[in-house]
Amino acid sequence: MDMNSRSKYAWAYIMIAPTLIGTLVFWGSPAIYSLYLGFMKSENFGLINHWVGLDNYHKLFRDEEFWRNLRNTLYYVVLVVPLTLVFSTFFAVLMNTRIKGASVYRVIFFLPQVTMPAAVALVWIVLFAQDFGLLNYFLGTHIAWISDPRFAMYALVLVGVWGGIGFNMLLILAGLQNIPRTLYEAGELEGAVGFRKFRHITLPLLTPTLFFTTVILMIGATQIFDSIYLIIGKTNVALPSVRSLVYAYYQNAFVYYDQNYGAVMVNILLLINLILTGFQFMLQKKWVFYE
Amino acid sequence: MSGNRTTAVRKTHFAIHLILIVGAVVMIVPFLWMILTSFKTTTEATQIPIVFFPRHPSFAAYAEVIEKSDFPHYYLNTAFSALMKTVFPVIFSSMAAYAFARIQFPGKTLCFFLIISVMMVPNAVFYTPQYIIMSKLGLVNTVTALWICSLISPFATFLLRQYFLSISKELEEAAILDGCNPFQIYRFIMLPLVKSALVAIVIIQLLWTWNDLQWPLIINSSPEKLTLSAGLATLASAFYSKYPVLTAGAFMAVIPMILLFFIFQKRFIEGVAFSAHKG
Repeated sequence: MDMNSRSKYAWAYIMIAPTLIGTLVFWGSPAIYSLYLGFMKSENFGLINHWVGLDNYHKLFRDEEFWRNLRNTLYYVVLVVPLTLVFSTFFAVLMNTRIKGASVYRVIFFLPQVTMPAAVALVWIVLFAQDFGLLNYFLGTHIAWISDPRFAMYALVLVGVWGGIGFNMLLILAGLQNIPRTLYEAGELEGAVGFRKFRHITLPLLTPTLFFTTVILMIGATQIFDSIYLIIGKTNVALPSVRSLVYAYYQNAFVYYDQNYGAVMVNILLLINLILTGFQFMLQKKWVFYE
Repeated sequence: MSGNRTTAVRKTHFAIHLILIVGAVVMIVPFLWMILTSFKTTTEATQIPIVFFPRHPSFAAYAEVIEKSDFPHYYLNTAFSALMKTVFPVIFSSMAAYAFARIQFPGKTLCFFLIISVMMVPNAVFYTPQYIIMSKLGLVNTVTALWICSLISPFATFLLRQYFLSISKELEEAAILDGCNPFQIYRFIMLPLVKSALVAIVIIQLLWTWNDLQWPLIINSSPEKLTLSAGLATLASAFYSKYPVLTAGAFMAVIPMILLFFIFQKRFIEGVAFSAHKG
């Protein structure tokens, strides 16, 4: 009665074949090859490779610019992730109060998400302008947001948070809507209102969502490239204060054509991402409250 | 008592609206400024005090963008690679996801693990080796290079598998009795059931492709092979302080996706929320 299992296997292999082969050829083997390139010295863009062991990594760890890039990247993550999380949660909680017109706000907050980062970056160049920029006009300041090494990082953080709120708010809103109303009603009977309601009912039940959102945000933020490339630009004096690992990778691999040195940089980024993910999953057990 | 309560609720709602309106204005001002600046002259855009509305709205900046860059090619290349990177992943991923969710076969766990493990790797790790593959295939600086690596999607495969797993098996069992093969079951019974998930995947693939910058920038350099985002990057370096030109280019690049978003806003928002939630 059951289908012949051999033909069943055949069907299964045929159905997974395009995805499996495509993944292995274009994504899986490149990931392995990047690790391999880290131990090589290549000539002619990969045509001749000599084994050099850990030389590229030794060079990297003695390179002050690398440590600075790493620090920049982590500083960006440390600023962007909590800020985006706080604002997204704040707006999501407000929108979850069943007020009128919530869908209109949702559309407006989501707008940056459907806007190409390259275009967003060009608009922010105009908004950040020192003399004629709208930002300085509203703040009453005269800051060279883009070219002052002290401020360039905050400019990038502002762009990142502005662009990230809509998406993350949506995730958190979905999490909020999964919390049963009856819990709030029970809480209200026991006198939980306002912030206490948020602290003792919403927050514990929202932690799985917040946890998940944090992971996505962190992984995205460690890969910052677009806004540095477009807003700061390669000739800017502020570049060293904001240059990220991915930007340095791009410069080394595709501007200076040192693909081995580029590879060790992104391999470190891979390691950071794996550690972050692992760390998050360990922490998850401690502070995430599952129903 | 109840009167007091209604007033209190009304007051809270008023405060909430106020805060949300401030937030919405912050979200929208860059868009307004983009449109306003694009219709100014360069002098108007760099005047003190700031000129908010262009006195004589002009299309000069748009004319300059069209003249100095290759927007028709940017649009075509972006739209074509978006099409390829949407249609094929939807077909391939849904097929694979069904097999992973429903068919028992030797090596299943290993194959699935191989596919989803690349999701943990940052994109930048792939670029150099992919560049080498492209150059071996003679595809550097071609439109094909923009999409060829992305005809599959591990993420969509993962997502759709979750979705197939949540569907009850009864429908299939009847079809198996009727002698359908796994592909027929997938195509005629299961696929129609996951339409909303497929729409979500179409939307996220479309957004990712449309917005992607780094790969097009790395792989292609001739103007007629660029995408919109890479085209904007060249525009930015050529006209860094010509604000009307920058904003006119930006506006031209974002308008198709924003129009699509306004038409299908509910599907967009649900699609993105759905995909993130299942992932």
